[in-house]
Amino acid sequence: MIGIVSYGAYIPRFRIKPSQIAQAWGKEIAEIEKSLGVYEKAVASYDEDAITLSIEASQRALEAGNINPKEISGIAIGSESHPYAVKPSSTTVAEILGMGNDYLAADLEFACKAGTAGIQLLSGLVTQGKAKHVLAIGSDVAQSRPADVLEYTASSASAAFVLGKQNTIADILDFTSFSSDTPDFWRRDNEKFPSHAGRFTGSPAYFAHVLGASSLMLKKVKMNPQDFDFCVFHMPNAKFPKDVAKKLGFTPKQLEPGFVVEYIGNPYSASSLVGLAATLDIAKPGNKIFLCSYGSGAGSDAFVIETTPRVTSYQKKNKETVKKQIADKTYIDYSLIAKNILTKYRI
Amino acid sequence: MKIKVAGTGLTKFGEAWDKSLLDLAQEASLEAINDSGLRINQIDAVFVANMLHGKLSNQDHLGALVTSSLDIKNASFRIEGACASGGLAVHLAIQSLLAGSYQNVLVLGVEKMTDVSISEITSALMGAGSDMERRAGLTFPGLYALMAKAHMAKFGTTRNHLAAVSVKNHYHASLNDKAQFPFEISMEKVLQSPVISTPFTLFDASPITDGAGAVVLSSDLSSRRMSGSINNVFITGSAVATDTVGLAERKSLVEISATGEAGTKALKQAGIDLKDIKVAEVHDCFTIAEILAMEDLGFCPKGEGGEFVQKGHTRLGGKLPVNTSGGLKACGHPVGATGIKQIVEVTHQLQQKAGKRQVNGANIGLTHNVGGSGATVVVHILQT
Amino acid sequence: MNSPVQIWRQHKILHQYLNKIGRLIVWTKIFVAPVGFEHQTPYLVGIVQLDKERMPLQIVDTEEEKLKINQKVKIVIRKIGKAKSEDVIEYGLKVKPA
Repeated sequence: MIGIVSYGAYIPRFRIKPSQIAQAWGKEIAEIEKSLGVYEKAVASYDEDAITLSIEASQRALEAGNINPKEISGIAIGSESHPYAVKPSSTTVAEILGMGNDYLAADLEFACKAGTAGIQLLSGLVTQGKAKHVLAIGSDVAQSRPADVLEYTASSASAAFVLGKQNTIADILDFTSFSSDTPDFWRRDNEKFPSHAGRFTGSPAYFAHVLGASSLMLKKVKMNPQDFDFCVFHMPNAKFPKDVAKKLGFTPKQLEPGFVVEYIGNPYSASSLVGLAATLDIAKPGNKIFLCSYGSGAGSDAFVIETTPRVTSYQKKNKETVKKQIADKTYIDYSLIAKNILTKYRI
Repeated sequence: MKIKVAGTGLTKFGEAWDKSLLDLAQEASLEAINDSGLRINQIDAVFVANMLHGKLSNQDHLGALVTSSLDIKNASFRIEGACASGGLAVHLAIQSLLAGSYQNVLVLGVEKMTDVSISEITSALMGAGSDMERRAGLTFPGLYALMAKAHMAKFGTTRNHLAAVSVKNHYHASLNDKAQFPFEISMEKVLQSPVISTPFTLFDASPITDGAGAVVLSSDLSSRRMSGSINNVFITGSAVATDTVGLAERKSLVEISATGEAGTKALKQAGIDLKDIKVAEVHDCFTIAEILAMEDLGFCPKGEGGEFVQKGHTRLGGKLPVNTSGGLKACGHPVGATGIKQIVEVTHQLQQKAGKRQVNGANIGLTHNVGGSGATVVVHILQT
Repeated sequence: MNSPVQIWRQHKILHQYLNKIGRLIVWTKIFVAPVGFEHQTPYLVGIVQLDKERMPLQIVDTEEEKLKINQKVKIVIRKIGKAKSEDVIEYGLKVKPA
């Protein structure tokens, strides 16, 4: 049985409130945080990118789990903001982590579900006995068009998961995936900013795939929402994950530990994985966690995870919990965002 | 040892928009050669000090470039040691004379810095620093600011002490028509100016300058009167010491140890004591640098450089006038030329040719030229 | 910035510094930047004591007012300078408060 051996999450320390963003664009939206359900989002510094974020999350996973980087035989970074169109983020991260040369690396893109896709794809190496450990990462310095409504929530974070067969802190009992060709949110190759199809991103996109993958998953494992202790869904905003949880029959209490969007925003490929990390930070042994991500274009990856007794000792070693990082913040105004836009888009 | 300073030449320092590097080089060189009374074909070799020209304008091969512009076909060399290029060129020229290879040589220091943007010049100057420093985004103001901060933390040196250096040097420059900034400034001006790298403001830093300086050095010690001067001036001590290029790797952040080493060697070579020095030109690329120079040369105890300056000891009329030219801060700092300018200023002092800046009875002087944040130091002793 | 080959050589030494804790000896806040760092001003640079080595490193995620002599700082990997749009990106060592 393959499982999670260790994990790490990194949330950049800068935060900006939607009202500050609205103010920068001369918009006066009363109680904007309340209507979005997002009070602030995490902003990466001008010298951070999906690669540096991946390194931070990964080194935390390696340190807390006492993992030898040379024993990691596969690495996949899922992101919508890979620094290069051609040249893998994975190898730069692997080099700096000290993974040597004996590993498979590939970068993944599938909007916000590229990180979870990595878990499913790399797990095969372990089950086949080709790898002792593999490293799946979801990392994004999320982009949105300035002044677009997406700017209030698009944020930055990363989460890294080391998978293996032995000494797991949580087992992946089963997983599945549900995909279709759905153009709800996309970015063409030479475009700076993504585009989206408005309300089409709701019912036929997010909901269709999350509900599709989740029902498929529950059927496969012959379980009901009540059988789980926690659930984690991709969080593009505060509303969708709450709605989909309710539709499936999960309770707000089950959703709560992994519901990170209110204070960090939507870090795209890292969203559901940071939610999973937050849940693992507080889970007890034998807890069952339901995870379903969503990536535009579109697809959802669903997982049934059960913690082992080792999760408790891991929690003692893990200094950088998601909760701690959410609290450890410095507020900024729009000037850092403006600097980042100038730098990134060479204006 | 004894080498005669046979002639001097110096352009005005400042923003010379309509002059190229070669224009400045020719102007200073011809003035020095004329001053020496020698004919151009008596110049056996030309030593050209310059740090940035290759990087900024793609023109290397400055030795040959300069000699051909002067219609000289003899030996020529370009010497580079960051801001100590000038001092190094003088030192090497002296070695060639002592070796007997040449009898009369021209040493020229020239720099053209205003053709490019501030950020380009800031980057180019970091060629004098280390790889790690460049990667950290350090600048020369930043490097000396780190030393200033360390000095302030260890010895209680204040921003007022630093500002006193700038104010004093500006006063000296107000008496020097070759200076870039021939005007006095107030303490308030220094303290309130825009911050460039904490704790430094714009007025703690030497400016970006175009300029050239030249000397003709001769191993022929015969007493040939130079135009209008009273004394012949000789270089009797010339010493170089080096240290790590990177500041972080140095033993101390509050001392440029190469200064003490070069200073001691030069004094010994000249056979004089520190107390015999009547006038000095030291390397004040930033205000803290002059304070460090006072301490590291031994003019005052370590940590007391700030007080030494603030008390007025190094102002014209004080017990040891320092940087009567205005120093790098107020006379200007065309990098490769500075070391030569220092020799020219002390020579004029010893020749009683310094006009309103004259130090009475000046008969022994010292020049102190630093490369980078202290990686190369050249000290010369001049005597009548 | 540096050439791809120089960056490649540099990246190889980064691994040994991951997670290292050092002490901050002295720092300055730079307002006038060299080429490639203009977008970062003002930024902090300090000298850090790491085991037996002393290094000049940029200090991130903090303010000058919050720094104290000898405080513990931790190595992080960040982008160095600003690569031109067609160049290889250089990653390198910086520190943040530990």
